[in-house]
Amino acid sequence: MTPLSPSPVWKLELRGVSKTFRSSHGDYPALKGLDVSAAPGEFVCLLGPSGCGKTTALNIIAGLEQADKGDVLIDGRPVGGPGPDRGLIFQEAALFPWLNVRDNVAFGLAAQGVPHRERMRLADSHLEMVHLQEFAAASVHQLSGGMKQRVALARALALNPQVLLMDEPFAALDAQTREALHLELQSLWSATRKTIVFVTHNVREALVLGDRVLLLSARPGHVKREFRCELPRPRPMESHTLVDLAQTVMQDLRSEVLAAQQEARRERRSP
Amino acid sequence: MSGARRRLLFFAGLLVLWEVLVRLHLWPDYVIPSPLAVARSLVDGLVSGVLPRAILISLRRVALGYGVSLLIGLPLGLLLGRTRLLQDTLGTLVLGLQALPSICWLPLALLWFGLSETAIGFVVVMGAVLSITLSTADGVRNTPPLYLRAARTMGAHGWRLYAGVILPSALPAILSGMKLGWSFAWRSLMAAELIYITTGLGQVLTLGRELNDMTRVLSVMLVIIAIGLLTDYAVFRPAEQRVRQRWGLQGGS
Repeated sequence: MTPLSPSPVWKLELRGVSKTFRSSHGDYPALKGLDVSAAPGEFVCLLGPSGCGKTTALNIIAGLEQADKGDVLIDGRPVGGPGPDRGLIFQEAALFPWLNVRDNVAFGLAAQGVPHRERMRLADSHLEMVHLQEFAAASVHQLSGGMKQRVALARALALNPQVLLMDEPFAALDAQTREALHLELQSLWSATRKTIVFVTHNVREALVLGDRVLLLSARPGHVKREFRCELPRPRPMESHTLVDLAQTVMQDLRSEVLAAQQEARRERRSP
Repeated sequence: MSGARRRLLFFAGLLVLWEVLVRLHLWPDYVIPSPLAVARSLVDGLVSGVLPRAILISLRRVALGYGVSLLIGLPLGLLLGRTRLLQDTLGTLVLGLQALPSICWLPLALLWFGLSETAIGFVVVMGAVLSITLSTADGVRNTPPLYLRAARTMGAHGWRLYAGVILPSALPAILSGMKLGWSFAWRSLMAAELIYITTGLGQVLTLGRELNDMTRVLSVMLVIIAIGLLTDYAVFRPAEQRVRQRWGLQGGS
């Protein structure tokens, strides 16, 4: 007799999430029946053409926006508004210029009521994780773009979130910095085993980082295809298997980009 | 050539030109007195105690009026910046009132408060409070949405969001409003003192005119300029510099 296979326990689950933005210019359907799930400690990448609703999906998980339909569950429980159990990292680091680096990392901890001493200790140890401990007292504007994103990462991790949401966090960085941060993120992920949902439009980036890559359709976004990427880590960008896989994904993505462009053209014609 | 030396040379040149023009006797002395005569009158005024007394009175008035303006303007601006309803109603009123030079409030103030310090204070407050309110509201309203989103995902809301994010991000705008408010307060006070004869620097100025004492008029004008500049250099510029540097708005020369 075979034992009942336990139903997979998801850390994060999106079930049939739909969202339409309404404005005086008409409705703008962003997501339609989006299903995403991530196991505990899994690295999931959402890949899709620009304007496919990837960012909206992350905002809904983060609680910054409400889904019209569908459920967002963490450990099986629906999420409400924004909360420190879901850390969100933006394309821009969004550090506060009036605080020094350490106080930026400690900001969320203060909001959680962590006492000052403990706050500083946690901030310092997380700055160490991203190798920026010697910049603790620096001003934000003294940091490079890559360093700022590392501080943002430390700031999010310091809150010990259940899920880390990343919205094209490296898109504005140069190629070398991005690659360095890919490595750093992978080692941080191995060390902390956070569940990560990473949004990107860059195929290679998705394949370098993700356990699973979900290809989203053009607007309104839903999962069109799923790719598993089981290459050993750290994955070099130029590995052959990765490049081959990237080609397959790229072809799928291309048709979605085309679809997105046609959609946009249609919209322009009929305002 | 450094900025300071360039400035020094320029003003020295200006003084020389002034002296030369006076020596040419193109105009009678009471129209354009020589710089030396003005300097002498300035020293006389300072030594006799007339100017120090007037300066003290004017400074006390402007400090009081400006202080009240801050007490009203800052909280009002914070409210206006975050409340759509207030913004659309009270905000429009404040914007409209700003078109009115504050000295135009003097007749009304005299009717309401009589010949009193309160009347002058009212004019000063009306001069300063509006720009402080508007800049503060602008600064609060223009808090980058990204900062707010980041703070909210970190669990900040309510008071902490306000004091920890909105207020500090508005600080550069608030400071420039305070600076503008100060210069408006000073101008309004001088206008009020000139028109509504009472003690203070404005009165000394009017007295100079009535006595046809051009040296006194000019020396008081210099004092008024000096006080305005000094506050700007001693208080507002260093504060602005610090904020701009911290916020990374510029290198801060």
